[in-house]
Amino acid sequence: MTSRRFKPNETVDFAVVGSGAAGAVLARELSQSGFTVLVFEQGPRFSPADFEHDELKYFFLSGITVDPKISPQTFRKNADAAARVAKAMPPALYARLVGGSSNHFTANYWRFHEIDFNERSVLGSIPGTGFADWPITYQELEPYYTKVEWEVGVSGLAHASPFDPPRSKPYPMPPVPVKSSGVLLERGARKLGLHPFPAPMAITSQPFRGRPACVHCGFCMGFGCEARAKSSALYTMIPEAEATGRCEVRADSYVYRVASDAGGRATGVHYFDRDKRDHFQKARAVVLSANGAETARLLLNSKNPRFGDGLANSSGLVGKYLMFNQGASAHAVFEHELNEHKSVQVTRILHDFYDSDPKRGFYGGGGIDGRINPQPAIWAMSSGGELPLWGAALKARIEAFPRSMVSAGHSTSLPVETNSISIDPELKDAWGIPALRVTYKDHPDDLAFARFLQDRQVEIMHAAGAQKVWRDAIEENEAGVHLLGTCRMGNDPATSVVDKHHRTHDVRNLFICDGSSFVTSGRGQPTMTIQALAFRAADHIGQFAKRNEI
Amino acid sequence: MNSAGNEDGISRRSFLGSSGALLTGAWLAAHWPAVAEAAHHAEDIAGAAEPANFGFLAAEEAADVDAICAQIMPSGATPGAREAHAVYFIDRALSTFFADWSADFRPGLKEFQAGFRGANPAAGTFAAAGSDSQIAYLGTVDHTPFFGAVRTLTLLGMFSSPRYGGNFRGAGWQLMGFEDRHAFTPPFGFYDREYGGFVPYSAEENS
Repeated sequence: MTSRRFKPNETVDFAVVGSGAAGAVLARELSQSGFTVLVFEQGPRFSPADFEHDELKYFFLSGITVDPKISPQTFRKNADAAARVAKAMPPALYARLVGGSSNHFTANYWRFHEIDFNERSVLGSIPGTGFADWPITYQELEPYYTKVEWEVGVSGLAHASPFDPPRSKPYPMPPVPVKSSGVLLERGARKLGLHPFPAPMAITSQPFRGRPACVHCGFCMGFGCEARAKSSALYTMIPEAEATGRCEVRADSYVYRVASDAGGRATGVHYFDRDKRDHFQKARAVVLSANGAETARLLLNSKNPRFGDGLANSSGLVGKYLMFNQGASAHAVFEHELNEHKSVQVTRILHDFYDSDPKRGFYGGGGIDGRINPQPAIWAMSSGGELPLWGAALKARIEAFPRSMVSAGHSTSLPVETNSISIDPELKDAWGIPALRVTYKDHPDDLAFARFLQDRQVEIMHAAGAQKVWRDAIEENEAGVHLLGTCRMGNDPATSVVDKHHRTHDVRNLFICDGSSFVTSGRGQPTMTIQALAFRAADHIGQFAKRNEI
Repeated sequence: MNSAGNEDGISRRSFLGSSGALLTGAWLAAHWPAVAEAAHHAEDIAGAAEPANFGFLAAEEAADVDAICAQIMPSGATPGAREAHAVYFIDRALSTFFADWSADFRPGLKEFQAGFRGANPAAGTFAAAGSDSQIAYLGTVDHTPFFGAVRTLTLLGMFSSPRYGGNFRGAGWQLMGFEDRHAFTPPFGFYDREYGGFVPYSAEENS
């Protein structure tokens, strides 16, 4: 069926801003429920053949990511510091094309655990933070996690981890084939009494819903998948939404403002097309899924006399409580070849340190995996723990590439109100729209837990028999790819932006669902939960619409 | 978890220093360079048997940069920077996609050359000096931003796609054992070849 093309003056039921992990799910669900849906994506649409194995282009020349030349951002550590223009990597990094960051993600698809949703009640308050429970429970979200696994496509082994939360169905596909990094992580961890298990990955391990099995090319993290094996929105939810005949995905269309009327209702969106021509699209309701940075920026840039601090911002919390996740790395070299540049990044993980333990003296939890960055130039530039490294020593290290791996740790960020997305008072983008400003400084507990986790990673690599192990320094985040918490969910309009159904407290026909909805950060793998939230949000939004309650 | 920035945002120095926490999104913060023009310009010489002329570097500058590259990644039984045409990649990068590095690069090179002449009055240029003299001098400047820049560019030139003018005929990839293919089949390495399968945890461990 040919994708729907709406006429310029046509009013759609839903304008969805953002075609990534959340927006694509909402578009598919709402269009399958009978509503007309117009999805706006600021970036282009790629076909599978457009994706390349070119790390210089993708990692150093903004090949598919937000380009600071046209979409500049500023960064500061706190409100007292002068914000500086980030000329290199944007501090809020995301992929800018149809399918959004689900194109270039690594595809780790961990479910959150039950504790993620009620951690504040269990552990108590943490001074200086907005640490809070979610307004929903794991049990409420469980059916939607299952829906992600079966309809988006996740490979894994159910009940393999003693720490797994309850589940209603097994995975639809077996785990992807184990790599040597997974074998070694498992070997070392089991020796230490830990519980590694096959990693759940949003990558096909066998043909699935019209897509082929992974061909193990190795270019997952940071790259789009030319094989269509990575379960990106581009290959899953987007075509299924378009197949309804009620959904159009409008690429190269940059929404810069949500319009609202005197009655406080959203009326549609203003956007630029690829030729920078200004348009207005009327909609009965608006859904923002533009990611945790751009959603907040869009709301703040949509202020008007009725909403003087930005749309849906009566709480003053739009943009606040930004969370990036922390992490740690331990490198290791082994006797024999691993050849980690082949196949998916991760095949084994462990969750033994998922829960925060008050006995440690600081808050934090996380998971550990085994992997490597397969890209040869990026790997070659890593230090080997010894700088400066050049000459015969550098060459020897590079020749050890086939025998090398990394254990990566992924961990919590506490919600700190001063960590935020805001509008830079001076800088504008290439369209003349006020630019995004990031303010961020890790909570000390986030760094303390990352160090704790790294110690465990080093122990595991030694236990696995590594000939040499070294660690990267753990430092404060000045950029992130996990853009979380900036329009947090909650029952109280004074302390949250959206309610438990993702409806904004202030604007009845305006909904938000993406990483911004998070109340706490999880343990570093957010996309699975973003998509589960989107399936759940679509259920509720569709019901509201059918009952004429929007 | 990235290197500290300074007045230049995610600082150029931190990138050029390239000390590198890999792997997480935070690694990118430390290493994402300033962007410039798209790389199509460099494609012109991709795969060419004989490199094109230099566009940014003068001949004497190119000779010295080439000599530095050759010490950073020496030739021998396996290819080095010279065989990978790293200096041509650097020249193209400074002319096009990393053009905004060029303003610091040339003064850095001149300072490097002047320092070498001061330390080795009888040696002439760095490129003309003996390997022992070159290594001894590099050991005194290998913490400088200029050396960091050349090191970073050498590695990018050795291991990025040949379409950008370096990694000539895949020399860098051969050195590191990277196979430029679009599909592989398991087993991938030594340890997964001998893996016996995932053993579930006992009921006691799962409780």
